[in-house]
Amino acid sequence: MKTVQKKRLTKSQITARNEKIVSFIVLAFASLLFIFPLIYMLGTSFKSDLDLQMHPEKIFPTPGQWTLKHYAGFFINSEGQLDNMPKWMFNSLWSTSVTVILTVLIDLVVAYVVVFLRWKGKKVFMKALFAWMAAPTVIATAPGLVIFQTVKSTLGISSPAATYALVYFWLTIPGIVGVFNVILMHNFFKTIPVEIIESAKSDGASHFTIFRKIVCPLAKSTMLVIVLFTFAASWNNLQGPQLLMAGEGQYIQTITVALAESYGGSSAWGAQGVSMATAVFSLIPVLIIFLFTQNKMIEGLASTGVKG
Amino acid sequence: MKAFAESVKDENLIARRRQRVKEQISAWVLLAPFIIILLLFAVLPFVMGFVYVFLRYDPYNVSSTQFYGLKNFEMLFNSNISMSQSFWESFGPVTVYALCTFPIGTIISFILAYFINMCPPGYKFFRACIYLPSLVSISIAGIIFCNFFGPAGSGLINSLLGTDIDWLGGKPFQDDFLRWVIILLLCIWSGVGGNFVIYSGVLRDIPKSLYEACEMDGGGRWRKILHVTLPAMKSTLSLTMFGTVVGMLSLYGQPYVLNTIENQDILVSPMMWIQKYLMGGLTYAKLTGFICSAALVLGLISAVLGFLQRKAMADRPRGDKYSVAYARFAELKAQSLKLKEEVSE
Repeated sequence: MKTVQKKRLTKSQITARNEKIVSFIVLAFASLLFIFPLIYMLGTSFKSDLDLQMHPEKIFPTPGQWTLKHYAGFFINSEGQLDNMPKWMFNSLWSTSVTVILTVLIDLVVAYVVVFLRWKGKKVFMKALFAWMAAPTVIATAPGLVIFQTVKSTLGISSPAATYALVYFWLTIPGIVGVFNVILMHNFFKTIPVEIIESAKSDGASHFTIFRKIVCPLAKSTMLVIVLFTFAASWNNLQGPQLLMAGEGQYIQTITVALAESYGGSSAWGAQGVSMATAVFSLIPVLIIFLFTQNKMIEGLASTGVKG
Repeated sequence: MKAFAESVKDENLIARRRQRVKEQISAWVLLAPFIIILLLFAVLPFVMGFVYVFLRYDPYNVSSTQFYGLKNFEMLFNSNISMSQSFWESFGPVTVYALCTFPIGTIISFILAYFINMCPPGYKFFRACIYLPSLVSISIAGIIFCNFFGPAGSGLINSLLGTDIDWLGGKPFQDDFLRWVIILLLCIWSGVGGNFVIYSGVLRDIPKSLYEACEMDGGGRWRKILHVTLPAMKSTLSLTMFGTVVGMLSLYGQPYVLNTIENQDILVSPMMWIQKYLMGGLTYAKLTGFICSAALVLGLISAVLGFLQRKAMADRPRGDKYSVAYARFAELKAQSLKLKEEVSE
């Protein structure tokens, strides 16, 4: 009897080991494929002009030929003026940060109200949210822009500063009411045991105290997930901003729009280095957020699918 | 004494009722910003989408608004007008493309999730590597892919192969096959990560006992996948596929960033069509109602497709229960086997 069991154990151990080896090889290969374009981007951004012209097949520049030239042109351009790059970066950074902060705040409040406060119409509210999530938002893109243009022309906005304010208002504010995030937060709040809240209430804690001292600290990992999602979505948003910024000057663009419009398409080899360097530069904020939130956020994303 | 008790009770009741009213009011006050913004910036445009289509509307000259009836739709379905013609033509490539990407993307993310679930050493690193491209903006991805598939002098692939293939060239519907392959590659590169992570989460949560039960019945790897993994993943698969279908029909960024200077103006997806004419500013301002009607048609098509997909993959009551019952049955069987063994000993 014992020998049989032992044999069986080793057999399953062998399969487990084989599985690990096979999956390691497959995943290492897949990871390499997925990460390679980014490595090539990084390498190319350091190439000298000669390397760009002669050796597009090399991932990294020829040893001794590394150059920071493409990065140097970002801040001060060849005419000695402030380049557009810092402006784009600034536009993206501030609008994205505002969107992220407001989104997290509004999601926390709405989820708290829905889960822990007693009020009429709660069920209808949640049903409406779910229904809205399934609505084809493509229909709203064109009229959204039309409303924007109508507002702009009725208010008589034409100066660059006023246009800038209106465009960025229109970019950040609608971005903070993503229904998916609210439902994510709502699902998490549902998992908090009601007893904790009840006992805090019987100790005389107000809703504000409960919100600040109990619920928010518990929701940290969900908050991180929402932060990364919103940050990436807002930073990478191309279509919406492109519509709003059509026909305006370059000063108004976010980095993503600027990259698509100024460096998109097959640019000549001269611009190749600069476009790659700009791409590297614009990836940095997302990368930083990803590195900080990586594990928590992948766990969080994985759990969203479970709940549907 | 009794009266006192009752008055206390009354007061308690009143206080509680007051508390409840207070809670009611504060709930609506706290929800107000969310609801107002949602109504103004998301629901209102959506509703107006159904209004503008009946108007001749010019956002720069609101007073010229006219009621147009169904004229916008008549224009849209009139193939003699070149704008409408290009709108309908743009559906062709996207449909073909969606039919290709859809299974390929799903299968790749499923396979990767399956392997990551075996937890080889360093799987967290691999997971991060595979997910990372999903966070890269489409503009950056466009720059990288244009460099990969650029002409012989500057493209990576061409110089590696020593060829001079015009990967990104070609007019629509004429030898632009390679272009679509590259758009497909780009979509897979940047789109697999999200679904992959979601699938891996679902796979991780499938109870081990189900696999063991299947093994007891002599099920090999394939049967395990077929009878345990896939049924357990069904609802998630359906949900992510819904997202993919809707996303595919509103394909915009990928073809846009891969457009080269020579074929800058070609429109290969309905979304690009809409975007182009919307961005046209004053030139197309008078056609606003017409563009909105095109957007409405696109939205309705994607809604219908999404609905059909959800219906087709809806959780039939049998599926889940069956696998649960199966697991229980197998468990019982295993137990009885154990008992028999013990008895025989």
